[in-house]
Amino acid sequence: MLNFIARRLVVAMFQLVGLVLVVFFAIRMLPADPVARLVGMNSTPEAYRMSQQALGLDKPMLEQLRSYIAGVATGDFGRSWVSGAPVMEDIRNVLPVTIELITISFILAFLISVPLGMLCALRPGGVADTATFTYSLFAGSQPEFWWGLLFIYIFFAMLGWAPPPLGRLDPMSTPPASISGFITVDSLLAGNIAAFRDGLHHLMLPVATKVFVLSGPIIKMVRQNMVRVLGADYVLYARASGLPPWRVALIALKNALVPALTLLGVLYGYILGGAVLIETVFSLGGIGQYAVRSVLAFDYPAIQAVVLVIAAISLFVYLALDVIHAWIDPRLAS
Amino acid sequence: MSEVLDLADAGAVHVATPAPSFLFRLGAALVVLSLVLMVVGPWITPYDPNRPTFEISEPPPALTAIPGLLWRVITGAPHDPIHWFGTDSSGLDVFSRVVAAPRTDVAIAVGANVVSLILGSLLGLLAGFARPWIAGTVMRISDLIQAFPVFITGMILVTFAGRSNMTIVLTLAFLYTPIYVRLTRAEVLSQRTRGFVDAARVLGKPEGFIALRHVLPNALAPSLIQASVTIGFAILMTAGLSFVGAGVRPPTPEWGLMIAASANELIQGEWWSSLFPGLAISLTVFGYAAFGNGLERIYDR
Amino acid sequence: MTDSAPVLDVRGLTVDYGGRPAVEDFALTIARGEIVGLTGDSGSGKSTLALALLGLTRGPGRIKGGSVVLEGTDLLALDEASRRERRGRDIGLIVQNPRGALSPLHRVGQQIGAVYRSHQTVTGAQATAHAVDMLRSLGLNDPERRASAYPHEISGGMAQRVLIAMALGSGPRLLVADEPTSGLDVTIQAQFLDEMWRTVRKDGSSALLMTQDLGIIANYCDRVVVLQNGRRVEDAPTQSFYAAPRDSYSRSILALRKEEVLPDAAPSRLLEIKDLRKIFPLRGSNKHVQAVDDVSFTIGRGETLGLVGESGSGKTTVGRCILRLVEPDAGEITFGDASVTSASPAALRGLRRKLQVVFQDPFDSLDPRWTVTDILAEAIEGKSDKARIAELLRLVGLRPDVASAKPRALSAGSQQRVNIARAIAVEPELIVLDEPTSALTPLARIATIRLLRDIQARLGVSYLFISHDLNTVEHMSHRVAVMYLGQIVELGTREQVFRSPLHPYSKALLAAHLVADPSRRRVDRTDIQTLSGEIPSPIDLPRGCYLASRCPVALASCREQPQPLLPAPDGRLVRCTPAIASLKQAMH
Repeated sequence: MLNFIARRLVVAMFQLVGLVLVVFFAIRMLPADPVARLVGMNSTPEAYRMSQQALGLDKPMLEQLRSYIAGVATGDFGRSWVSGAPVMEDIRNVLPVTIELITISFILAFLISVPLGMLCALRPGGVADTATFTYSLFAGSQPEFWWGLLFIYIFFAMLGWAPPPLGRLDPMSTPPASISGFITVDSLLAGNIAAFRDGLHHLMLPVATKVFVLSGPIIKMVRQNMVRVLGADYVLYARASGLPPWRVALIALKNALVPALTLLGVLYGYILGGAVLIETVFSLGGIGQYAVRSVLAFDYPAIQAVVLVIAAISLFVYLALDVIHAWIDPRLAS
Repeated sequence: MSEVLDLADAGAVHVATPAPSFLFRLGAALVVLSLVLMVVGPWITPYDPNRPTFEISEPPPALTAIPGLLWRVITGAPHDPIHWFGTDSSGLDVFSRVVAAPRTDVAIAVGANVVSLILGSLLGLLAGFARPWIAGTVMRISDLIQAFPVFITGMILVTFAGRSNMTIVLTLAFLYTPIYVRLTRAEVLSQRTRGFVDAARVLGKPEGFIALRHVLPNALAPSLIQASVTIGFAILMTAGLSFVGAGVRPPTPEWGLMIAASANELIQGEWWSSLFPGLAISLTVFGYAAFGNGLERIYDR
Repeated sequence: MTDSAPVLDVRGLTVDYGGRPAVEDFALTIARGEIVGLTGDSGSGKSTLALALLGLTRGPGRIKGGSVVLEGTDLLALDEASRRERRGRDIGLIVQNPRGALSPLHRVGQQIGAVYRSHQTVTGAQATAHAVDMLRSLGLNDPERRASAYPHEISGGMAQRVLIAMALGSGPRLLVADEPTSGLDVTIQAQFLDEMWRTVRKDGSSALLMTQDLGIIANYCDRVVVLQNGRRVEDAPTQSFYAAPRDSYSRSILALRKEEVLPDAAPSRLLEIKDLRKIFPLRGSNKHVQAVDDVSFTIGRGETLGLVGESGSGKTTVGRCILRLVEPDAGEITFGDASVTSASPAALRGLRRKLQVVFQDPFDSLDPRWTVTDILAEAIEGKSDKARIAELLRLVGLRPDVASAKPRALSAGSQQRVNIARAIAVEPELIVLDEPTSALTPLARIATIRLLRDIQARLGVSYLFISHDLNTVEHMSHRVAVMYLGQIVELGTREQVFRSPLHPYSKALLAAHLVADPSRRRVDRTDIQTLSGEIPSPIDLPRGCYLASRCPVALASCREQPQPLLPAPDGRLVRCTPAIASLKQAMH
C-alpha cells in the first residue's frame, strides 16, 4: 500500500514539474504580445522597451525561466501587472471563495443526487426512473451561466427572495475578519451570525445553479453503478444464501459506490476550474473571475499562477482519491 | 449432421438505460435541426442578423397574437417580417440571430470534434499498439493536457492566439483530443489480444495492416458515441467563452455573446433577448446528449 | 433408512423468462441420501431451474406456478421472509463461475461467516472460526490465510470450495449444484467432486448435480434427469440410462463413445521441435514463469499429436511458439527443411501459409465487422474467388448462404467451422488446434471432431491437438504427449498413454478423467492414484521432480534430482525413473 502511495506521489511530482514548464512556455509561445497591449499600439520604441523591461520580458528566455522557477519554489509568483500586488496575495484572497462555493455545491449535489440515483436503480425502466433519468440527461447539458441569470431574474427581480448578484455579502456591511477566507467559517468564528446568514443568502442562487448542473452527471453515474451491481451474480447469490436484506443492501452499496469515487474526484477537479461562469454571473470574486480578468488583461504572472494553482490542487485531489480508492478496493493495490 | 443452435447466453449484465426510443428520436431531431441550421441558418432569417432595426427592445408578440401572425405568414399576405423573439437593446432581431448562430456555434463544435476524433483515435491506436516507450509518451502528454483546468486553459489559448473562429476550433480540438486518445486506447488494448488479430498474424499479414483494418475499426465505437456528447460540451464551452469575452468576437451572432450583451437588461425586465438564445443552447446540447445516450444503448445491445 | 419421505418433491414448476417459458411443468422427487444428476444442452433451462428451486429468479424471470416441497413445506407458498430462512439453512446452492458469485470487496472468510450468521446466532468471531473450520474440512491447507483472501486472489477451485463452505455451513438437507466444475482443471474437478460426494454421503443429505458433462453424472449420480427446452424428457436410474437413453439428445452425445479408427499417418517428420524453452518475466519483480521447459517432439505427415495438460502445463505456449506468435527463448523448431525459429520475416511469411491455427474461442477469432466472405477472402489473398469460398464452406459443412453472414449471426459451432475453413483455405500442412472444442456444447463438440477427422482424411493435413479434454484427444490423436508445468512427462501412442499410463501424473489425469460409463465409477474404484494438494505455482518450481510434492509414490530421490525424459522399454518416453524401473521389472 505504501508502495502504491509512494509511486503515485512520484508521478504527481513529475506531473507538477511538467505543468510548471508547460505553463511557462505555452504562454510565451502564443502569438500575443502583452507589452503592446499594455503600452498601446502606437507607442514609441523607447516606451515599448521600457515597458518590456519593467515586465521583465527583455531578458533571454532561459533567465526568465530561472527566475520563474526560483519564484515558484519559494511561493513567489511575481506581481500582477494589473493590480501590482503580489499574485500570491491575490490568489490567497480569491481561492477560498471558489473553494467554499464548490465544496458546498458539491456536498449538496451529492446529498440530493446519490439517493435519487439509488432509488431509480431499484426499479429500472419504471416511470420514476425514466423521468429522473431524462432530468439527469437534461440537467447535465445546461449552460449554467444562463440558468444563473434566469434564477436571478426569477428569484431576485421577480420574487425578491434572493439578494442582488453583487458579491458574497451585502456591499454595505462589514465583512468578518478573514481567517480562512470562507465566509461561512469566518463569520461563525467571529460569532457574527448576521454575516453568516447574509453569506448563505448570497450563496443561495450560485449554489442552486451549480447543484442543478452537477446533479445530472452524478445521478446518471450512481444509477448506472447501482443497476450494474444489483444485477450482479454476487447479489443474487447473497440472496440465494439466505442473507437478510439489509446485509445484501450493504454489499450492493459498497460495490456500487466505490467505483464512483474516482469519477467524483474528477468531477471535483473539473468544477474547480469550471466555476468561472457562475462567479462571473454572480460577481463572487473567486479565482475563476480572477482568471478572466487576468486573461483579458494579458497579465502573465497572474495567469501562470492561476493555472498552476488549480492544476496542482486537481492533481492532489486525484492522488488522494486514488489512494482512498486503492485502500477500499483490494483489486487495485495488487 | 444436425447442429444444435446454442442460444447466446445472457453474458454480461447490460446496464439498461431507460429512456425509451422517444428520447433518442427527440435527440436525433434536435441534432438534425442544429445541423440544418448550421448550413442554411443565415439564409433563412427574416432580418439581417447584423443590421439593427428601428424597433429597439421590442418584446416578442403576445401569445394571443401569434395565430393571427402565423396566418398572415401562411397566406403570404404582405407584411413586415415579424420579430418572433423580439428585438434587443440595439434593435437587432433576436430570432434571426438565434437562427444564424448555429453557423458559428455548431460549426465550431463539430469541426473541433472531427479534428480531435481523428487525431485522438490515431494517437490512441498508437498508444495501444506501438512500443511501450511511444505509448508511454503519448499517454503522459495526454494526461498532462487533461490536468489543466479546461475552461481557463481555453480562455488563455483563445485570447492569446487571437480570437478567431479557427483558433477556437483548434483550442477545443486540442483540449478534447485526450478524451478520444483515452477511449480509443482502452478499446485498442482490449481488441489487440483478440483471436482474430492473432489469426491475421498467422496468415502472414503485416502489423500495420492489422492495426488499421482490424483493430482500429473495432475500437472506434465508444469514441463515435462520445463524439455526440462532446459536441454538446463544445457548444457549451463556445458559448461560455464568448459570454466572458474570451471567445467569438462580436458582432457575430453567437448564443453566448447574445446572452452577455443582454445580461444587464434582464434585471430591468427585458427577458426575451437572453431567454431565447439560452433556450437554444439548452435544447441543442440536450439533443446531442440524448442522441449520444441513444447511440450508447444501441451499441450495448 | 429412517425416513422414506422425499427431501424434495417438485410438481408442475413453470418459470417464464422474458415472456418465454424457460422451465415448463417440471416435476422431480429426490429421496434422502440420493444424488440426482440433471443434464441438458445450454439453453435447456438448468440455471433457471436451480434458482427457481430456491424461489428465486434472475432479472426478467417470473415463477408462474408449481410447488417445490422441501422436507414437507412448499417453498413457493411461503412468504419471502420464511423462504429466506430456509435458503442456506435447509437448501444450499453452488453455481458456475464461483468467483463471480463472491463480492469482490469483501474477504472470503467474512462472506462465509456472514452466511453462517444469518442462520445461527453467533458472534462475528465465532462465525469466522466456523468459516476456517469449514475450509479445513474441505481439504484446504492453511485455511486461516485463505479465509482472509479476497476473491480475486484465489483460484477457481478454491473459490468453488468457498461456495461449498457457504452452502453447506448450516448442514442443509439438499445441495443444488449448477455446473460446479465448469472451468476447473480435470484433477481439481475430480478432487472437488470426490470431496462433495464424501460430504454429502457422510451427512446423509441429498444433492442435485446439474451438468452438461455426462461423465460426471455417470460417476457420481444415482439417477439421471434430462431437461430439454425447459421440459423433463427423461428420468431414469443411471445404469439403465447409459445402457439405453430414450431421448435423441442423449443418444447423440453418448454415440461418440464407440472407438473409431483413425486415418493412417506416414512415418515422416514434418514438424520437429527440439529443447524448446520459454520464460515469461513477471512485471515488478525479478521472478519469472517457466512456461515451457525442454520440450521436444516430432509430428509426421497426416498425423495428429495430442498435447494434454492442465493449467500451467505450457501446452498453449508450445503452440504459440510453433506459430511464432511468441518468440521462444531457446530451442529449435524445424518445419520440413526450413527452420521456423531462425526464419527471416520474408521466409516466415512463406512458412505461415503452411502452418495454420484454430483457437479456442470461436467468436473471438473472427472480426465481428467482417462477413464470412471477407474473412475467407483475406486468407485466400487477392483472388476473392467466389467458387473457392463456396467450396471451402462445403468442405466444412456450412450452407452456402453463410457466406454473407456476420459472425454474430452464427452459432458457436458454425463460427468454429468458419475458423476451420479459414485455416484450410491456404492449404496448410499442419494446423495447431488450441482447445478447438472446449468452448462448444457437447453436440457441437462431437460434430467438430468428426469434421476435423474428415478433413485430415481428405487433405492429409497434420494436427497438433492441444486440449485438456481427454475425450476429444482420445478420438483425434495418433500419439499423445502429457505435459505438466512446462515439461513433457509422458509421450507415447494413444493406446499406450490411455490404456496403461506410466507416469504418476498421467495416471492421476486419466483416473480423474470421468468416463461416461457407470460400470466404471471413480467413486467405486479403490486403487485410484490421487494427487494431493493444488497445482503449484509455475513461479517457484521445486528442485527435483515437479510432481514430487503431490505424488503418492514419490521417493526421497525424486525430490532431490530433476527427472530426465527417458525411453521406456515399449518405445515411449517417460519422465519418471522409478516408473521405468518398475516397468522393466514387470517385464521380466
